[in-house]
Amino acid sequence: MQDNIQSGAAVAPPPPSPGTAIKQSQPVAKGSDAQSVLKRLQSELMALMMRGDPGISAFPEGDNIFSWKGTITGSKETVYEGMVYRLSLSFPSDYPFKPPKVKFENPCFHPNVDLCGNICLDILQDKWSSAYDVRTVLLSIQSLLGEPNNDSPLNTQAAALWDNQEEFRKMVEKFYKPSQ
Amino acid sequence: MGYDAMANDVSAPAISRDLGKKKRANRSAKLKQCKLDARREQWLSQVKNSGGKDGSMGISPALPSPHRTMSLLRHSQAVLERKSLEREVNVGSGLDGSDSDSPAHSPIPIANMHRKGSSSTSASSGCSIGLCSRSVSDAEEDREEEGKGEEKGGVDDWEAVADALSAVVDHTQDKSDSVEKEVCSKKDEDHQNISRGAFRVSEPEPNRIVHRAWRADDASRPQCLPNLSKQRSFPVNMERRFAPSASVHTGILSVPSSCPICVEDFDVTDSSFLPCCCGFRICLFCHKKILEEGDGRCPGCRKQYDRVPCMENGISGVALSFPCRFSRSFSMSLRS
Repeated sequence: MQDNIQSGAAVAPPPPSPGTAIKQSQPVAKGSDAQSVLKRLQSELMALMMRGDPGISAFPEGDNIFSWKGTITGSKETVYEGMVYRLSLSFPSDYPFKPPKVKFENPCFHPNVDLCGNICLDILQDKWSSAYDVRTVLLSIQSLLGEPNNDSPLNTQAAALWDNQEEFRKMVEKFYKPSQ
Repeated sequence: MGYDAMANDVSAPAISRDLGKKKRANRSAKLKQCKLDARREQWLSQVKNSGGKDGSMGISPALPSPHRTMSLLRHSQAVLERKSLEREVNVGSGLDGSDSDSPAHSPIPIANMHRKGSSSTSASSGCSIGLCSRSVSDAEEDREEEGKGEEKGGVDDWEAVADALSAVVDHTQDKSDSVEKEVCSKKDEDHQNISRGAFRVSEPEPNRIVHRAWRADDASRPQCLPNLSKQRSFPVNMERRFAPSASVHTGILSVPSSCPICVEDFDVTDSSFLPCCCGFRICLFCHKKILEEGDGRCPGCRKQYDRVPCMENGISGVALSFPCRFSRSFSMSLRS
């Protein structure tokens, strides 16, 4: 715990930038609601950085704390091993009562991700709970990579190919474009 | 008259104490139990005889009258005496032969015993005094002073101990056990003080910790003892709950120090608000928001919130005016 706090303190300097974003983004949402969303997002950012979960990361994009960029690294022993995917997370003004909009930024060949990067994941839609946060969302997407739901595919080709992991891996590599 | 009753009392609480003391009682203590019992009877009868003459025994004019002391103390004194005897066997048997080697019951051992009893009482009174403001060392000085000049306030102190012990006897086993330890440790220390003089082992240190715990309980009357542990644990919870902690968010679901939804610290009302039977706590504001603008489901288990939360305490104005008292009783009712 001490180490966490230490490292948290070491990484702490970034938060002032979301802190400055408070004033600029205040006009976007209104009143005390915006304040509470800001507080929640800041605490999520803090928790995310302090935990330092392997394979996921996220940070506000520029000055706007309502828009984050995240990365997910494919888990080992999956066809996505070694791949680093970039995502964008956009938080509604009534977050966390409504889920964030999460999209892949770079192409991802996956049964539940369409060619535009939209993700079909229940917890990002009807199964969203305000108890979820950025960290759990990213971890869920990371595990979705290795365990797709082939019953309701957005990418039918990927769903059809899933059983052939070797071919699937080739397609993953073919689609993959490292972040520019 | 009262002496017979007292003699009966001697055995009754002593048996119950034996149960609590079981772990600590070693074999040698049990082996010598018969001998000790016999000797205690003899000793008591001797006290009775000398006490029957008049309050002022020839042993020491400084001693409080055994007659009055006995009637005040009843069984608790007997317990103390018994503890003293047992401790002699447990701890002092190897160290101090004076008592066990002189079963002749000359006035000297009696005076010895009495001194032990009195000084232990003073020690206990020392804890109740020290509770207010004095440090441990102060209390210790106190005890030693009173141990020497044991004539002052002997009866009053005995009374306090009698109250404490009789209250404790009725209550939980571990409580009485801790008090027992307390008493025993006093006995032990005093015994060593008196019979061994400079022989002071490092043992008093752990004993003093127990001693301190008892001292805190002693703040109010011992009749409240069973509740005190809960009450004393409460402020700790409060501190934990309200302490701004950097680690709060690592265990959002388990640490109820702030609302997992809006991250605002729980106030007293929020922390006594349990909107869902799954145990997932959120603040009143977020609960209202979920009910009115959201899907009305618990974020923790996705079950539909009942219109009437399964447990909702501390919302009335009374609770707000006495937040601490109320939530204390609430937390107790939760556990019980």
